[in-house]
Amino acid sequence: MQIHILYGTETGNAEMLAEDISDHLSEHAPEVTNLEDFDPADFDTGTFYLVVTSTYGDGELPASAQPFAEKMASQAPDLSGIRFAVFGMGDSEYPETFNFGGKRLEEMLTGAGAELVGERVTHDASGSDMADDLALPWVDALLAEGVA
Amino acid sequence: MTSIAIVGAGPSGCYTAQALAKALPDARIDLIDRLPVPYGLIRYGVAPDHQGTKAVIRQFERLFTRNDVAFFGNVTLGADLTLEDLRASHEAVVLATGLHTDRRLGIAGEDLPGVIGSGVVTRGWNDYPDAERPQIGPRVVIVGNGNVAVDLLRILAKAPAEFDGSDFAPESGAALMAAGVTRIDVVGRSGAGMAKFDPVMLRELGRLAQASLHVHGATGEGKVIEALQAIDVHRPEGATREVHFHFGWTPEDIEGRACVEAVRFRASNGEGALHLPCDTVLTAIGFDGETAQADGDGRIAEGLYATGWYRRGPRGTIPENRADAQAVAARIAADLAQATSDKPGRAALTAGLPEAVGYDGWRRIDAAECAACPPDRARRKIATRAEMLTLARQSEDR
Ligand SMILES: Cc1cc2nc3c(=O)[nH]c(=O)nc-3n(C[C@H](O)[C@H](O)[C@H](O)COP(=O)(O)OP(=O)(O)OC[C@H]3O[C@@H](n4cnc5c(N)ncnc54)[C@H](O)[C@@H]3O)c2cc1C
Ligand SMILES: Cc1cc2nc3c(=O)[nH]c(=O)nc-3n(C[C@H](O)[C@H](O)[C@H](O)COP(=O)(O)O)c2cc1C
Repeated sequence: MQIHILYGTETGNAEMLAEDISDHLSEHAPEVTNLEDFDPADFDTGTFYLVVTSTYGDGELPASAQPFAEKMASQAPDLSGIRFAVFGMGDSEYPETFNFGGKRLEEMLTGAGAELVGERVTHDASGSDMADDLALPWVDALLAEGVA
Repeated sequence: MTSIAIVGAGPSGCYTAQALAKALPDARIDLIDRLPVPYGLIRYGVAPDHQGTKAVIRQFERLFTRNDVAFFGNVTLGADLTLEDLRASHEAVVLATGLHTDRRLGIAGEDLPGVIGSGVVTRGWNDYPDAERPQIGPRVVIVGNGNVAVDLLRILAKAPAEFDGSDFAPESGAALMAAGVTRIDVVGRSGAGMAKFDPVMLRELGRLAQASLHVHGATGEGKVIEALQAIDVHRPEGATREVHFHFGWTPEDIEGRACVEAVRFRASNGEGALHLPCDTVLTAIGFDGETAQADGDGRIAEGLYATGWYRRGPRGTIPENRADAQAVAARIAADLAQATSDKPGRAALTAGLPEAVGYDGWRRIDAAECAACPPDRARRKIATRAEMLTLARQSEDR
């Protein structure tokens, strides 16, 4: 099964992580796409999606994920049969809306019929964990479960 | 090989290097900064208690460790190196030097002791090399209605334990405790609906342990007003500091004989006056200075470009500088596609700048800052250039 990494970012942290995950999974030759360049019509049941996104404003999606959210709203696609996992990035300095970006994308995709695999991971920019140290074991575990 | 020099290793310079390293993987990029350390206002502007925002630095570390990007710190364009030299040695030069001078109010009394610009204050609180720690009195007036004003008031209002996890120097914390701030008035010229606060920054104030928040005259609609109304009820028990927000007041003059004693404001539209006795006035009304004469893509002349605050003026946060840097980098990549590349580049800098601090030198400073870190802090910054240079020049095997 093909792996496709989709990222939403504003200052580049999620983009760097998406590239690191891609390097880590190089034998699967994953595709990496900024959400601003991804159309919901291109979701494919033969692909497993790793979604990486940060959070901005008052718990909103980062700038590069907003065009995707608008397309999801206007196209209202049926995503049944699509499987994905979410790695959210946020900052506990914003406790009321901590990691809402990942949460929003998860709800958007499951609301359209897609299936979330595993639990959404939440990275904290103010915490001591590097995003890679959480994300690479997470993708390894997903692969061990046989998602792709 | 194409050589590109970027002057200014703040976010704009670093994002430009990042985008250029992607677009032109064979190019050799030199990042020059007048400080012995990189990252500009990420290190010396972004508040010490906002470590999460500073975490973008992890992206930039990659530039120096994985890409062909070199750091030349302790090198001032215009003193150690001329623009002509740099343009002669590199195919493209990008100016990302930012803007640093506090904008002045332009009113009487502004030069009294006790009136301090936000740049001076935040450099002091961020341990900018050789900057002085600001002298603060018990009653503070902050003039300005943007996020820097909120940073100032939050630092003034915090209790010592609220700096846990920050890189705020323990001495700065002790100086603030000694100042015994009891009252902070934040005054904006326009109405609350026009205030440039980020709502999420206002909400953060609603968690201050020791400060009660009072909002005056925030009527109307919008996210900022909603956030102001939401924090207006914050009255923690035993609060030792009062914070008051005022809107629609234009500063008229600063009163005082030997030092500041009060600020007088008049209503921005209509009748009325506001007189606030105080010991300290902090101005947070933006930054000033010459900006580049560049076109929309950031091009000044052949092989010369500008980006970031130096191009656009002192507006916009880190994400906007990233977008700007990516646009300038795309333009440079397009222009360089036709250019010949036979200039000496890095070799010229290495030969001509023996006093430069390289990335390894910064790594030694960084390691010393982490090693000296108290348990409740993220790091302990080295606060003088002399000490930085000594550390940077220590040989590896010591
Ligand atoms: C107090 C304060 C707090 C802020 N907080 C935030 C925040 O929380 N979040 C956010 O997104 N944005 C914040 N900002 C805005 C953000 O810092 C700016 O948008 C950004 O730093 C501008 O980037 P720059 O690279 O253009 O300039 P700078 O960061 O100023 O970088 C310019 C660099 O050029 C170097 N330089 C200057 N002149 C020379 C010379 N002649 N030769 C060599 N080097 C030179 C300087 O040393 C500096 O390193 C804050 C700004 C301030 C002032
Ligand atoms: C202005 C601003 C607002 C933010 N708002 C939130 C938020 O509401 N919730 C959250 O969890 N993180 C928030 N963050 C933190 C970012 O999501 C975090 O720094 C992340 O690592 C950024 O990743 P990116 O570079 O890919 O955009 C905010 C950061 C900034 C600068």
